Amino acid sequence: MNVLVPSRHTTSEPPWVRRFLIGVALAFIGVFLVIPLIFVFTQAFAKGIGFYFNTITDPMAWSAVKLTLLAAAISVPLNCVFGVCAAWAIAKFDFRGKNILLTLIDLPFSVSPVIAGMIYVLVFGAQGWLGLWLNADNPTFPALANWLNDHNFKIIFAVPGIVLATIFVTVPFVARELIPLMQAQGRNEEEAARVLGASGWQTFWRVTLPNVKWGLLYGVILCNARAMGEFGAVSVVSGHIRGQTNTIPLHIEALYDDLNIAGAFAVASLLAFLALITLGLKTWVEHKNAAALEK
Amino acid sequence: MSVEVKNVTKKFGSFTALDNVSLKVESGELVALLGPSGSGKTTLLRTIAGLEFPDNTGEAQVLFYGEDVTQIPASERKAGFAFQHYALFRHMSVFENIAFGLRVRPKTTRPPEAEIRERVEKLLKLIQLDPLANRFPSQLSGGQRQRVALARALAVEPKVLLLDEPFGALDAKVRKELRRWLRQLHEEVHITTIFVTHDQEEALEVSDRVAILRAGKIEQIGTPEEIYDKPASPFVYDFLGNVNLFSGRVKDGAVVIGGTEFATSDAAGEQDSEAVAFVRPHDIRVTRVATGPALAATVIRSNAAGPVANLELKRLDSGEQFTVQLSKELFQELQPKPGEQVFVELKNVKIFSDDYSI
Repeated sequence: MNVLVPSRHTTSEPPWVRRFLIGVALAFIGVFLVIPLIFVFTQAFAKGIGFYFNTITDPMAWSAVKLTLLAAAISVPLNCVFGVCAAWAIAKFDFRGKNILLTLIDLPFSVSPVIAGMIYVLVFGAQGWLGLWLNADNPTFPALANWLNDHNFKIIFAVPGIVLATIFVTVPFVARELIPLMQAQGRNEEEAARVLGASGWQTFWRVTLPNVKWGLLYGVILCNARAMGEFGAVSVVSGHIRGQTNTIPLHIEALYDDLNIAGAFAVASLLAFLALITLGLKTWVEHKNAAALEK
Repeated sequence: MSVEVKNVTKKFGSFTALDNVSLKVESGELVALLGPSGSGKTTLLRTIAGLEFPDNTGEAQVLFYGEDVTQIPASERKAGFAFQHYALFRHMSVFENIAFGLRVRPKTTRPPEAEIRERVEKLLKLIQLDPLANRFPSQLSGGQRQRVALARALAVEPKVLLLDEPFGALDAKVRKELRRWLRQLHEEVHITTIFVTHDQEEALEVSDRVAILRAGKIEQIGTPEEIYDKPASPFVYDFLGNVNLFSGRVKDGAVVIGGTEFATSDAAGEQDSEAVAFVRPHDIRVTRVATGPALAATVIRSNAAGPVANLELKRLDSGEQFTVQLSKELFQELQPKPGEQVFVELKNVKIFSDDYSI
């Protein structure tokens, strides 16, 4: 009764179909991703290495790099905390409005970043609610209003606005990564920990967090990539003050508008380099995550 | 000295999982909660552990050795709980899984590292997994995982051990082995144990007492012999094993089925009335020639695979079908063929006076 089955898997196609499909995928990636990336680096060095280093060590460029790193350094940890809280709440508890919360977390994905920026201008700008409140004759908290005015505190066209906009666009990354993971893992291990006498904190640190650590890191990396590369929302709230409120993407645009093409590409190469590092990290974490899931 | 549950009611939405349930488990006893799915047995177990809380606060009580723990959270109840799917910590080794309950104790009551090691090693020996201390749960078989889950629950020296379908996810052979092992373990450590199962064979074999649940209520509680021999309701009778139903009449302390009178011990006070008689398949004797009160039936099917033979029969008078279990020897002697006519004598006929539905 032993019939020899041909070793080919039922779902695998004839060789020419496979080659065609792989070819199409590779050609697409080559034309739309790899060639532009190579172009970025060749253009960056078009005016020589000296010009390249002059451009990226320019104080304006340096200030853009620092601002970008600052925005990422603030928004990534905040999103991390928010993402873990949201994922925990959604995966481990049952409450009314759970689906609404899920939808709201996705909002930044579906709303254009420009609109996000506009909303912040409307709320926090000089003509917005905050501005009107600060300039009101009779503010509700006069001491706070005075203090803010004295210190010339501004959100729009200043660093806080850039950070806020970055937080807005990166909100879903960590939560979206953790929710399906935590839902798949269920509540059993947490319950087991509680019955064994662990407190809520102990359960979180010793059971929940170790179980999701690779998923969390993956979310953080994606979040960081978006935080550093964000253009639209930041562009609206930044005010484009060179050396003060320009992030790397905004600085690239400014150089490009000055017709300093080589300069724009030099700074762009910096951003592309950060993206490549992120990609490498992402691959490594994915690999680790898959290994952890297999266990 | 006991673990006690009083008047617990628990609803999930419109579904009543527990309907005013009370249960008392004596110290050192091994009690099975037996019932079909949805009967509330797991909810009752989780209520004892503190993973669910009764809806009727004030009325409901959970007592551990007289101490009221109704409002005490799971983490402070000191109950050992083994989950149906083990819920082992996947990122910890077997050793660390078992040590977890000791390591999370506050500094003042946490045993020193050397003592933790000693206790975990002792438990590893008890579950016969000492060579696998450094493995991760994913590297263990189902039976091994279940034993680790038990050791982890025992490590905190719980006041009561609660097991949710402990052998539910295992294959038949491992199940039998672990069942015997659990009974042995219970004899050694003698800890008050409550376990949930939907397998009547498991409940009858392992436990000191069995509580049968149905739709959020305890239908009957007693020793395995008591509930098997004196089932309180048709539901219990049916749940504990295969059963045949014969419709007939009760008359003068006997039951009349298809014109034939059979003896029963349950119809003493009954007047002439409709009745359903319950007979287990192994309480039916099949003969070629009627020697006493018997019913005529034809053979539909026979199956002699396994330790006993099963016959599918059909009554000649009413056409009702029923199953008979007989020994291999008797089967060889009779050699029943489909279509042949035989006689059946009913023994241990059971009649329930109030409710005939199962």
